Amino acid sequence: MTNRIAQLRKERRISQAELADAVDVTRQTIISLESGRYNASLLLAHRIARYFGLAIEAVFLFEEEDAP
Amino acid sequence: MKKRFFTKPWLPGLGLGVAVGLGAAAVVLGERLANPVSGLCFGLAGTLGGLSGSRLIMARFDRTWTPEERKEIERAERDERNVAIREKAAYATWYWTLYLLWAAFFLTLVLGSGFPTALVSVIIVLHCAFYMVNVNRWSKQL
Repeated sequence: MTNRIAQLRKERRISQAELADAVDVTRQTIISLESGRYNASLLLAHRIARYFGLAIEAVFLFEEEDAP
Repeated sequence: MKKRFFTKPWLPGLGLGVAVGLGAAAVVLGERLANPVSGLCFGLAGTLGGLSGSRLIMARFDRTWTPEERKEIERAERDERNVAIREKAAYATWYWTLYLLWAAFFLTLVLGSGFPTALVSVIIVLHCAFYMVNVNRWSKQL
């Protein structure tokens, strides 16, 4: 699963700390999400998408290889 | 929400006092106490002293934190990535403990000692039984 968090954040000039604060996670979690090391839970994905005013699928890109 | 171990602020102080009392009693009474009782006193004193002491130290740090720092620490505590890390670490630790127990079991077999072999076997069974109990418990909750 890839995501557009870094891209959306840069477009809107939001720092990782600000995003972390808004969605109630640590900055390290945002760093891990952006680098693709960690996949967000549905709840966190929903919070991040809502923060950007987008649908989850517009932020998190699900690929067929991700399917179990 | 997890319950804190010490909910009352005076409990760690009381715990430390009891620990010191138990330790001192075991030292003063010495030979007059039966070995298991003496061991129990030292064991309880160590456990209680460790828990209470660490809680007192944490409370000391707690007072020095600014509201922002406290907020950040609380966030880190419930952060879903940190929770996932703790769960993965606990899962891996369960297996490592099991391998260590099996190693200890075979070592006791090689050394030909009866009671330690039986003891390690019981611990292995309990280790696996607790796992199954928790699997059952969580399968009902999730």
